[in-house]
Amino acid sequence: MPVEAIASAVGTTTMEITVSKFELLRELTATQGVVERKTTIPILSNYLFEAAGDKLSLTATDLDLSLRTSCAVKVKKEGSCTIPARKLHDYVKLLPDADITIKLLENHWVSIRCGRSNTKMVGMAKSNFPSLPTFPTAGVMKIPAQVLRSMIAKTGFAIASEESRYTLNGALMVLKPESITMVATDGHRLSHIERAGTKFDGVSGEMKTLVPKKAMDELKSLLDSTDAEEIEFAKDESTLYFRIGNRLLTSRQLTGQFPNFEAVLPKDNTKSIAVHGDELGQAISRVAQFADERSRAVKMRLEKGELKLSASSTEMGESEDTIEIDYQGELLAIGFNAQYLLDFLKATGGGEIKLEFKDSQSAGQMRPAEGEEYKYRYIVMPMRI
Amino acid sequence: MDAFFVSVEELFDPSLKGKAVVVGGQRDERGVVAAASYEARKYGVHSAMPLRTAAKLCPHAIFVDGHRHRYLEYSEKVHGVLTTFSPLVEMASIDEAYLDMTGTERLHGPALSAAHRLHHKIKSETQLNCSIGMGSSRLVAKVASAKAKPHGILWVIPGQEARFLAPLDVRDIPGVGKVTEQSLLKLGIQRVGDLSRFDDEFLEEHFGKWGLALAGKSRGEDAGGWFVNEVGADIGAKSISHEHTYNQDTADVDQLESTLMRLSEMVGRRLREQGLHARTIQLKLRYKDFTTITRAHCLPAPTQLDTEIFEQIRSLFHKNWRKGAQVRLLGVHAASFENPNSQGNLLEDGRRKRWQQALSAADHLRDKFGESSVSLATGLGGTFRERTHENPVGLPGKKKPA
Repeated sequence: MPVEAIASAVGTTTMEITVSKFELLRELTATQGVVERKTTIPILSNYLFEAAGDKLSLTATDLDLSLRTSCAVKVKKEGSCTIPARKLHDYVKLLPDADITIKLLENHWVSIRCGRSNTKMVGMAKSNFPSLPTFPTAGVMKIPAQVLRSMIAKTGFAIASEESRYTLNGALMVLKPESITMVATDGHRLSHIERAGTKFDGVSGEMKTLVPKKAMDELKSLLDSTDAEEIEFAKDESTLYFRIGNRLLTSRQLTGQFPNFEAVLPKDNTKSIAVHGDELGQAISRVAQFADERSRAVKMRLEKGELKLSASSTEMGESEDTIEIDYQGELLAIGFNAQYLLDFLKATGGGEIKLEFKDSQSAGQMRPAEGEEYKYRYIVMPMRI
Repeated sequence: MDAFFVSVEELFDPSLKGKAVVVGGQRDERGVVAAASYEARKYGVHSAMPLRTAAKLCPHAIFVDGHRHRYLEYSEKVHGVLTTFSPLVEMASIDEAYLDMTGTERLHGPALSAAHRLHHKIKSETQLNCSIGMGSSRLVAKVASAKAKPHGILWVIPGQEARFLAPLDVRDIPGVGKVTEQSLLKLGIQRVGDLSRFDDEFLEEHFGKWGLALAGKSRGEDAGGWFVNEVGADIGAKSISHEHTYNQDTADVDQLESTLMRLSEMVGRRLREQGLHARTIQLKLRYKDFTTITRAHCLPAPTQLDTEIFEQIRSLFHKNWRKGAQVRLLGVHAASFENPNSQGNLLEDGRRKRWQQALSAADHLRDKFGESSVSLATGLGGTFRERTHENPVGLPGKKKPA
């Protein structure tokens, strides 16, 4: 028998570890999002567990997106196994706060013991688990975790969820030595954020990357729960790598051309007003209760000194809210999908915002009135009303 | 109308009179018979039969190409006569109509004499023969008119509907075709009257909703299918489609794509003509061995643009076509009509607007110089003669878009 075969035979027939419930559950929870729910490939519903030294490494993948994380364990026998991910998570949640012993049995069964609880789960052969790309050794860039987190929160919602236009199913990230930009659009609205004045080590020239929606969502939740100050980012021809603390997220790259967004950024939106974001959000939420359920259309009327918001539907009735504004320009009536406006207001998190319009057919622009370190703008196409 | 297409052709070429005539194309062409004269029918030729089969059955028949505009013109004339008899006229196809005569007794007298006058008036104003069936429902009227052919009138007295239908073959019920006939035969049902032996629940269990409709139809009711609306109610088109059968099967990608482009253009043109926007685009593909598949895709926003239809059709085609397999027929079908999106699009509105303008200009050219006067480049290789079919757009009396 060749050496590799012995190694793999040993690797698949032994593994025994002891881990604290708290440690294990934290990593299981962090990786659940990646586990494919409706897969036709059974192994993708499983975790790959690999124990060596004093560490357990857990891997979940749906082939497009993979997440590898680790936690400290006592390793009695090194080795590896696969375990159904959802079931394990659901089960471990219910265990008492104590040490859990996980041991590989015959036929890929896995024993899980904790106190007086004793369970055997049906695993699968480890050799079925797809092999994953490894983090590149060169070309690694560092991005401040909070910067990336904030940019994702302010653009991610505008990514298209329909799959008809493939390249819109992700956000465009543009890295330059001293700035980072992120853009997302679904064709109806576009969210654009730029942060200058931060040095990005390892970036030369301009580097454009399309980050798929699922990777954006996953990154956001990883960034929410990390205390790491910086993350590491790298890419090769087919894969994006994000290392956040002890967790490594890899994603297949979206290929293709992101639309030429610069061409649609409004240039002569001269009718401008300033309102308080919270006040506007509340007014929109109120009138939107009476908007047509499918189109969600609300109407904005800019009048002298007043912004009138209204909505109506034949089934529900009609509703109007008025906000005082400093506006002396021409009268303008323009319709928008209420949800699109609320998405932006939620992302900006209150504060003074500026609304800039050209006419009732052209895209409107919204942005925070005070541009702190970020240059954030949101462009929405109107609805015909 | 009796042998409508043939009769119209006879008006243009009286030498055809009394001969076996087949309308729809030439004897050695692919495609199907649109209509056959009564003389040709004696040899077993009927509509929807392949032209080549017709030529075998009736070798001495005269084969004539269809002339859609002629039939529409005459259909329009017939419609004109009909509307002088009742305001509620429903053109069921180019040569078939229902009239709701309820409440016209004082104007036209008893139903039978009104029918005679109508019969006479159509003959004198169009020189065409027709057959009239009268009954308390559209179903009975339709079956009666079929039994009245040629050039007859048949009145089914109210209350006698079931007795009239009972001895008829189940195939005489509109909507019963070869397949249903076979499954009915398996249950021992051959005549319409046999259906009354089974209760509605049994038929529903065997045939679903259609079983219930069938039970109703066997009693002479307007059940199921197209008999839902009032006569004359405008139900509007539910789908628009065009298909093309090749004279010779082909696996040439360029040719297939050209045809798809041309069909997409034809569908787009009709969508614009009728002011409709379609959300579902469907491809029909028939191989040499007659296996047929249909594959549909739902667009994110409804469209009436040739280019957007073609883009979907092309991708459906390449996803589903067995590479290199010989294709016999292609079809493009648009459905799920909706109002155009009121939500503007940042990235596509400009392009869409330009296409809309270009295609509307192309439509004007076609109106003036004919359908094949202008085409998108891909569609140029796909021009073909349009076949005549019985349910064209713009049936007389159908509401035209504003």
